[in-house]
Amino acid sequence: MQKEIAIEVNSLVKKYGDLAAVDDVSFTVWRGEVFAFVGPNGAGKTTTVEILVCLRNPTSGDAGILGFDIGERKGQQQIRRRVGVLPQDFNTFDLLTVKENLSYYKKMFDNGMDVDELIQLVDLKDKSNALYKNLSGGLKKRLAIATALVNDPEVVFLDEPTTGLDPRARRDMWNLIQGLKEKGKTIFLTTHYMDEAEVLADTVGIINHGKIIAMGSPSELISKFGGKTVLIVEEGGEAVYDSLSQTLSDVRLENDGDVLATIKKKHDLPNAILTLNKSKAEFAELVVRRPTLEDVFLNLTGKKIVEGELH
Amino acid sequence: MRRISAIVVGALRMWFRSKHTLFWTLAFPVLLMLLFGAIFSVSQNPVFDLHIQNLDMVDGEPTYWSKAFCDMLNKTEILNLHVVDSAENATQFIEEEGVERMLIIPPGFNSSVSTSNNVSIILKTVPAEVDTASATVGNVIGQVVEIFNTVVTKLIPPNIVSVKHESIVSETFKYIDFFAPGIIGMTLMTSGVFGAVAWNTRNKELGILKKLATTPLSKLEWIVGVVLFELIMGSISTIVIIAVGVVVFDLKVIPNIFSVILIISGAIAFPGMGMVIARFVKESDSADAAANAITFPMMFLSGSFFPLEFMPDFLRQIANALPLTYLNNGLRDSMVYGNVSSALFNTSVILGVGIFFIILGSLITSWREE
Repeated sequence: MQKEIAIEVNSLVKKYGDLAAVDDVSFTVWRGEVFAFVGPNGAGKTTTVEILVCLRNPTSGDAGILGFDIGERKGQQQIRRRVGVLPQDFNTFDLLTVKENLSYYKKMFDNGMDVDELIQLVDLKDKSNALYKNLSGGLKKRLAIATALVNDPEVVFLDEPTTGLDPRARRDMWNLIQGLKEKGKTIFLTTHYMDEAEVLADTVGIINHGKIIAMGSPSELISKFGGKTVLIVEEGGEAVYDSLSQTLSDVRLENDGDVLATIKKKHDLPNAILTLNKSKAEFAELVVRRPTLEDVFLNLTGKKIVEGELH
Repeated sequence: MRRISAIVVGALRMWFRSKHTLFWTLAFPVLLMLLFGAIFSVSQNPVFDLHIQNLDMVDGEPTYWSKAFCDMLNKTEILNLHVVDSAENATQFIEEEGVERMLIIPPGFNSSVSTSNNVSIILKTVPAEVDTASATVGNVIGQVVEIFNTVVTKLIPPNIVSVKHESIVSETFKYIDFFAPGIIGMTLMTSGVFGAVAWNTRNKELGILKKLATTPLSKLEWIVGVVLFELIMGSISTIVIIAVGVVVFDLKVIPNIFSVILIISGAIAFPGMGMVIARFVKESDSADAAANAITFPMMFLSGSFFPLEFMPDFLRQIANALPLTYLNNGLRDSMVYGNVSSALFNTSVILGVGIFFIILGSLITSWREE
């Protein structure tokens, strides 16, 4: 089946005075995929989203959604009908119920999903008559995502949908987003959580200081920029260090007694374990640490993202 | 129309569930009406208490001229005279009874007047800074003394001229009838401006406006929806004010189409003004301050509480530029005087202001981020 373009962005620039919030950004999002835009706070994620959903004008460059030009008035009208948007930090009407809130937003469109069906989709059936102000943080986010689906959109923009949620609520949201993908929606997700992008995205664009510094599938990015798998033998000491050094070329003994061995080839890991077994050397625990998108970002920028901030 | 009705119905639901807004749209106008109604329904003209001690007595009876002077004071109908026994010690009496104003006619008043010798009556009052009514009472007594002197020197009988106070409108009206349109105007202004500013600013802060801007809803539809909701609120407040006025204070209003059009125009103009103000307010913390800055001066300068004639010329010029002045004048013309031509002029002005602010609001309200 031939892939169709959902979002196409060419050399997009947004400047505020001398500061380029978005600096020559280009990418393509295919229909039906989850595209994650990953980066720290202030990297240019939200500005890019707001340009794409026609809330801001770009300084230069162009973009199209579902074939409609974001710079043309008629194109903007079509885009507003066909996309669903969850703005960053969005809260809806406190004193309306779940159902009333969704009906409110649905009436802004000519067509859309049945509200009861939508409530079922986001698993809020038991809370359909509860006021928004009485919902928990996780349920509020579910309703917020539902407001982005009222018009049964082809493309859904979710700007930091899990920020501020506890781990369990975040995982619930991941399931919801995966469910939307299964329904064929194209999802443009922004996040500063690397694990979220790794789990959900087909394609990840890493953005820092307004520029895309890497793009590809999570596995591509990890194999290209993430570094090697490391075998960690906790509290192995010199005995473990000596025996592993006979098998592997890159072994280090840390001050706390942990031994770190880089796995460079396919057979390095089973060989290392066999060697350890033969040596009868004692150790506390064996850990295999595979590289993640966090390592990709660290290797590319020299910094880590902690709760959205660079460290 | 579907989008506008969604905005209106949604806002009505939230209004009904919010104790805070219920208070400001229903209870506050009632309190205002009861308060002002109680103040202004008791008496059409102010009457000031004055204690008077006549020390010019013969055989326990006041002398001819001292009695004549007291009678003249009484005929002003502005002073409510309380006679203090001549045997009382005036200073002690004032202290013990907490008297604020006391006039003492000295012994020998009659003989001095008869022989054209100077004589002083004594007016004891608390300082005018503490009791502003004392200044008025002093002026009234001064006027009476002037007339009394003319009477005495020209030997005119003392009760040849008197003043009969008559209202310039139908006798059936009371002061509350004039005051109620001012309260209606003020309520339409405050609920309209505050409602629209608060509604817009809060929704901006919650991200709701940004969200709506990503839907096919237009700015004009949003503004019309908010203004229509405020129109319903304003109408409810007006009905409550009139109902309380009629039931509690026997308020009399002349029902006519101009009153209805004026109330609708006012209920459109002020939310429209609020939408324009909201364009420049970034946070809900500053929304009240911005709304107050506009409504507070207008409340006092537009004749809601007292007639414009009380104000200096330059303030009257300012009042003529304020829409609430035309709403207040128009409501009084239509509801109280039944003056159709004047009501028509004021209705046209306030309707024009309403349309102007809605168009301006939709032009300057920004859906897009800057």
